[in-house]
Formats: sequence, C-alpha cells, structure tokens
Amino acid sequence: MPTTHPRRTLLLLLGGAILTFVVALSFGSASISWLKVIESLRTGATSLDYTVVMELRLPRAASAFVVGGMLALAGVLMQVLLRNPLADPYILGTSGGAAVAALTAMLLGWHSGLVSTAAAVGAMFSMALVFFLARGRGDWAITRLLLTGVVLAAGWGAGISFILAVSPASHLYGMLFWLMGDFNDAGPGLFRPLLLIASLTGTMVIARNLNLITLGEDRAEALGVHTLAVRIGIYLLASILTAAAVTLAGTIGFVGLVVPHMVRMVIGSNHSSVVPASVLFGGILLVLAETLARTLIAPRMLPVGVITAFVGVPLFLYLLRSGLKRQDS
Amino acid sequence: MTLNPFLRLICSLATLLSLSFQALATVSVVDDTGQNVTLTAPATRIISLAPNITEILFHIGAGAQVVGVVSYSDFPPEALKIAGVGTYDQLDIEAILKLQPDLVVGWSSGNSAEDLKTLEELGLTVYRNESKTLEDVASSMQQFAALTGHSAMGNTQSATFLEGTLSLQKRYQDRKNLRVFYQIWGDPIYTVNGHHLISHLIDQCGGTNIFSGLETLAPVVTTESVIERNPEVIVAGVYPGPVPEWFGEWNKWSGIEAVKSDHLYTIDTNHISRMGPRILLGMQAMCEAIDKGREGRH
Repeated sequence: MPTTHPRRTLLLLLGGAILTFVVALSFGSASISWLKVIESLRTGATSLDYTVVMELRLPRAASAFVVGGMLALAGVLMQVLLRNPLADPYILGTSGGAAVAALTAMLLGWHSGLVSTAAAVGAMFSMALVFFLARGRGDWAITRLLLTGVVLAAGWGAGISFILAVSPASHLYGMLFWLMGDFNDAGPGLFRPLLLIASLTGTMVIARNLNLITLGEDRAEALGVHTLAVRIGIYLLASILTAAAVTLAGTIGFVGLVVPHMVRMVIGSNHSSVVPASVLFGGILLVLAETLARTLIAPRMLPVGVITAFVGVPLFLYLLRSGLKRQDS
Repeated sequence: MTLNPFLRLICSLATLLSLSFQALATVSVVDDTGQNVTLTAPATRIISLAPNITEILFHIGAGAQVVGVVSYSDFPPEALKIAGVGTYDQLDIEAILKLQPDLVVGWSSGNSAEDLKTLEELGLTVYRNESKTLEDVASSMQQFAALTGHSAMGNTQSATFLEGTLSLQKRYQDRKNLRVFYQIWGDPIYTVNGHHLISHLIDQCGGTNIFSGLETLAPVVTTESVIERNPEVIVAGVYPGPVPEWFGEWNKWSGIEAVKSDHLYTIDTNHISRMGPRILLGMQAMCEAIDKGREGRH
C-alpha cells in the first residue's frame, strides 16, 4: 500500500485547512475588500464587508468544517465497526430517523430550532432502536447489526418518501433542501466543536485497538482488546457524531464514505494517522463544498450535498486510479 | 286524421321556436389551449380542479353550480363544504365520475395532462384554464361566466377587476422607484425572477425586483446576495398567522437599507399567489407596502 509520511501529510492537511478557511472567507456573492475588514477589526466599527465576512461566511465555514470533521470521523468508526468499506455514517439508519423527525416537524410548521431538536431526538431514537434490536441474545454479531440498521434505514427512507408525498407544496422547499444538505447562517455553536475535539481525542486513545479490531475480532481479543466494549463505544460515538452533524446540516452524503478511503490511500491504514487526517480532510472538503455551493451560480445557492458528490466523485476516482498506477509501476 | 292546416302552422312555428331556443342555449367557448369546448346548455354541475378556479367561479356567481373541488379550495368559505376530488396534481377520477359533472374546469399546467385526457375519454367535457397574467384572470372570469350562464355578472366582475388593477398601476407606478426584495420562503431563501407575475406587480407598484435578472422562475439565493443588492423594502408572502421565524432573521443584517429603515412587510400569500379575484388585494397590499417604503426611516 503506497504511503506518504503521515506526519507530513497531517501538517499539509493542517495548512490546507487554514488555507481553505481563507478561501471560504474571501469568496461569495458579494465582493469583499479585505482592507475594510481588517480596518473594522482594528477600529471596532462595523462595515458591510466586516458583517459579511464575520457574521455570514465565518459561521458557515466553521459549521462546514465541524460537520465535515464529524462525518469523516463517524465514517472511519463505522468502517471499523462493520469491517465494511462501504459503510458510511448513515448506513445504520441514524440519519434516516433524524430526517423523518425533522420533516415531520417541518410539516407541523415548527420553527427551525425545534426542527433541529426533533432531528436529534429522531437520531437518538433510531440509534437506540438498532442497538436493542441487534443485541438479541447478548451476541453482538456484525451481520445482525448491519442488517438491522440497513432495514431500519430503508424503513426511514419510506417514511421520508411518504412525508414528501403528502406535504403541501409550500413545505417541500425547506424539506428538500434539508435532505440535500443545507447550512443556515448560524455557526456550529459551542457543543459541536467540543464534541468533535473530545471524540477525536477519545478515538486517538483507542487507535491501536481500532487497528487490531480491523484485523479480526478473535485476534483482537487474543491481544487483550475488549472487543465488545470497544464496538459498543464505537457505535455510540459514531451515532452521536452523525446525529450532531445531521441536526446542523441535514443529510450531506459522500463525505463520511469517501474521506476515510482517500486518506487511507495516501497514508496507509494506521488509525493513529487515519483518524486525525480524516477529520482534517473531511473538514476541508466540506468547507470547499460549502464555498462552491454559494459561489458557483451566485447569487443562487446550491445544496451542499450536491457539491460534495460532484467534487468527491472525480477526486476519489482519480486517487483510486493513481493508486493503482503506483502499484503497477 | 288530417290536422287543421292552421294548427299545422302553429306546430311548425312552435317547433322552429323551440329549436332556436335550444340553439341559443348551446355554449361554445375556446379554452386557454385553443380547444373548442361546447355545452348543450350552461353548465349546472361543475368540477373545479384548482383553488383559483373555484374562487373565480364563485366570483362570477356560479358558486351554487360547483359540485366538486380539489383540496385547498378554501375561499370563499362556502367552497369548504363542497365535495373533494383529490389534489390538483393527484385527481380522484372515481370521485369526479361519481359526481356526474357536465363540465370539468382544469388547470392546464398544474393538473396531470394524462388525467385530463382520461376524463375526456370517459365522456366528460373538460375546459383547460391557464391564467398567467392579470388579463388572463379577467378573461377567465368572462369565459367561466359564458360557460355557466352568468355572462352579465362575468362581464361586470371582469371589468371591475381590470379597472382595479389599472387604477392601482396608475396610482403607484410612477412614484419614486425603490429596490424591492420579495421572498416566498426563508429557509432556504426563495425569491422570484422578472418573469414571475409577482415581479410584474412589483413593477406596476413602482418598484424594482432586485432579482429580476435571474433565469430561474423561483430561484434559491444566498443571504449575501440580498445584503449586496441592498433592497429598500423587503416583502414576504406568508400564510395568515404568526410571522414566520425566518422573516425576523433579517433584523440581524442592519446593513440592509430595508432593515435600517424598518421597511419589512408581510402580505397574504393566498392573495398574491393565487390567480383569482383576490390577486387585486395582493396587488394592493404590495403597492401599499412599497409605498410605505417611500416614507423614509421610521
């Protein structure tokens, strides 16, 4: 497996993250004079440029970075938990439960704060449901977990279709944008960044266990890993991260599935590097996608989830092919 | 037995007269897709396949003849008591047939074309209506009136309606022109481009739609682009009830002229978005809102 030195990659990603933020703050529908922004920062007087950069673009970029990081981390965890490269944060139905709850809240005319709360409740409910249904006779078989989650996700999907079918046309606007991924202008708040940092730290602590579990459950057990406890922990953490991401930005696809793979293609499979690199790269990707979503067809706006796919697919395929070429040569 | 020749003359005259009355009762109108719609007598059992069509039918006096409506036909209140035949995009064909209508008035671009054809194949008479401009609404009033035997009232209502729009236009169009932002929804922000009727109404009220240049009829725009275009009046079309949360969000952006001078207004979306007689009320509300914007800072 071709690898680039992990520490170098991480530093590059960190630099990339900062650069991406600068890009996000510089571009948009309105043309901004950085001089005016800096002046406002110094003198404290408000100007239009300052408002746009600090109160519109910065919160959105921050939200995008945090959500991208959370989804990427959740993706890594899901892929370890299910030992399946096709796993993404939504595979076990957490996002489906959030979506059904959020759309129902919108149908009832609740305002956006309550909609987010409903989404969180829906996500937690789905997570608990899968947890209890898959436990069965105390055995934590991967297959049963996967099947339970996938079927539940399909059930939620049917629920989403139903709600979309019966909603009056006026409500569809908000619903479709929520489903395709949409940041409102509020920032990520305090809770989510803290959650991301705590999750990242916690995952780094058990990175060695993650490596071992990927090799196989029996081998991991033999090497002293309490696989059941770790797997339950991973499941809960991944679900909470997914719920936190989806309640802020709706169901943005692709990031959680593809970022871990892209990172592994570059720096190998050691989770002590894969985990932080995925968080950084996921954040970068989503900030770029968010910037493109509001600048590509300005003044119009695209849903972010559309951009992550448009950007992610060619990028992923390119990395895949260049990885193959390197293997052949 | 031979009839008295005089009696024979009376009979012939009577037959002739009744035949001509029958000819007088026949109604033939060309619908908005160019199709000829003919009824042997003014319609007495009408099904309306759009809420605005229901409103126009009531407005020209044919309300009592409407036997079936689609959902959201909520004005006038009497319309709520009429039997439902599905939604405008999902017609309940069985319910329509059971009501045995002699005329179905459909919405050309809103109803499913297949459904309308099916109704015709099942032997029903379908009139396809498409109202895109104020003049269309006025002419719809006349057409429906002709189909339902209320020509006199239809002509009056149509003329009154047109006069109303012209008088509003005359009153407001030449006043100081303001930059107007019209918003259909807040999360995400939906607005209208220059081709939309609401944009035309803004013009006629002496305003300029800041997004008139866009290509999509109802585009989603970024908050930034609204801030950049700095509207002097912000108008949102909302359903009756509490002001939606997303409308209050504008108060955050004090850089926008409309926010600075507190020219943020809501109008009833049922008036301005429904192509019926109440659009006159919507137009009036729009013109008044924009006019308040001319007053300067509050």
